[in-house]
Amino acid sequence: MTNYLAPLIAALLTGATPLYASSAAVVPAATPAKTTSSTPATAPANAPAAPGGIRYTQAASGNSLEFSFVQADAANQGVFRQFTTELTYDEKNLAASTLKVTVQVGSLDTRDGDRDETLKGADLLDVARYPAAQYQASSFAKRADGQLEAVGKLTLRGVTRELRLPMVLKPTAAGLELSGEATIHRLDYGVGQGDWKATDMVGNDVRLKYRVALSRAR
Amino acid sequence: MTFRNTTRSWGFLSKALHWLIVLLILNQWIIAERAHSLPKGPALIQALWWHKSFGITILMLAVIRLAWRLMNPVPDLRAETRPWERVLARVSHVLLYALIFAMPLSGWMMSSARNFPVSWFGWVQLPDLVGADPRLYERLNDLHELLFKVLVAVAALHAAGALKHHFIDRNDVLRRMLPFGRTHD
Repeated sequence: MTNYLAPLIAALLTGATPLYASSAAVVPAATPAKTTSSTPATAPANAPAAPGGIRYTQAASGNSLEFSFVQADAANQGVFRQFTTELTYDEKNLAASTLKVTVQVGSLDTRDGDRDETLKGADLLDVARYPAAQYQASSFAKRADGQLEAVGKLTLRGVTRELRLPMVLKPTAAGLELSGEATIHRLDYGVGQGDWKATDMVGNDVRLKYRVALSRAR
Repeated sequence: MTFRNTTRSWGFLSKALHWLIVLLILNQWIIAERAHSLPKGPALIQALWWHKSFGITILMLAVIRLAWRLMNPVPDLRAETRPWERVLARVSHVLLYALIFAMPLSGWMMSSARNFPVSWFGWVQLPDLVGADPRLYERLNDLHELLFKVLVAVAALHAAGALKHHFIDRNDVLRRMLPFGRTHD
């Protein structure tokens, strides 16, 4: 039982979106009212005004991209250690905001070498043929409940599908902290060939949870 | 047959726990052998799901069994039992009790050490006993297999002792543990 609670407690302690809380509960705090007023004022004067907003890139530390899935009826967890994020954000013009995340799939780590190799294998993530996964959004939108979302496409294992990615933006000293969670279905992307298409022992749902420290690009 | 033990014979619950655990251990052996023959894949995960779920079941039954033993009379050994036989019986019983705890616990720790949390039949996810640690896993794996060999040896001795009582000493030590066995008195 504690395994279910641990990520939730960790998320609460660190102020991330709680794993099982409704996103609506997070929205009031997440709506970056402060960003609205502070972002234009704190933008470096010499930075070229990117069309559509301010450019941010991923900071050297403070980033995490976790995934969790159900295996044998238990919550199993892992992380991707290498990924890059680029964000162009304009509070006033969400339609022109962009997000690009590139993940080195082979950097996955579930703290079990055997399982990592299985996950990287041809029947699952097929890292040899598809070393990178990419999420690319060319506009943002606000849901009816106020939740900010990137409207984009995820390319994983050579399959590209639309994915609306919930985002929470928080201003930080260096720029912004971007965080959120989304659930994808692994079989939508062909992650699970042959015997791995069965979902009774390895679930179809994969929960992604990310937190990225962004610095203003120079 | 009474529900509780008497000083002459085992009661219903003691017999039920004894034989249920015997059957579950044999079943664990079969599943483990099958798992060894399977390639990586959902079928192996499922075999281990059964093995872990039954293993946790044995651990739960072991707790009940130990508690029941401590709050019940234990049937006496026959008066003619020789001292070395008493010692051997005592040592093997203590070992068997220890093993029905140690086997599941070491298995559970193996799962934790590989960061594979254990679910009990999909009804409840158990907490991890140790952190992820590949070297610890290797040691626990060796331990689990060693304990199994010890279990087979002690169980064989235990069964041989029971058969000796039955066929050579011709007393009711075996019969009083059989599901429908009767004692003479």
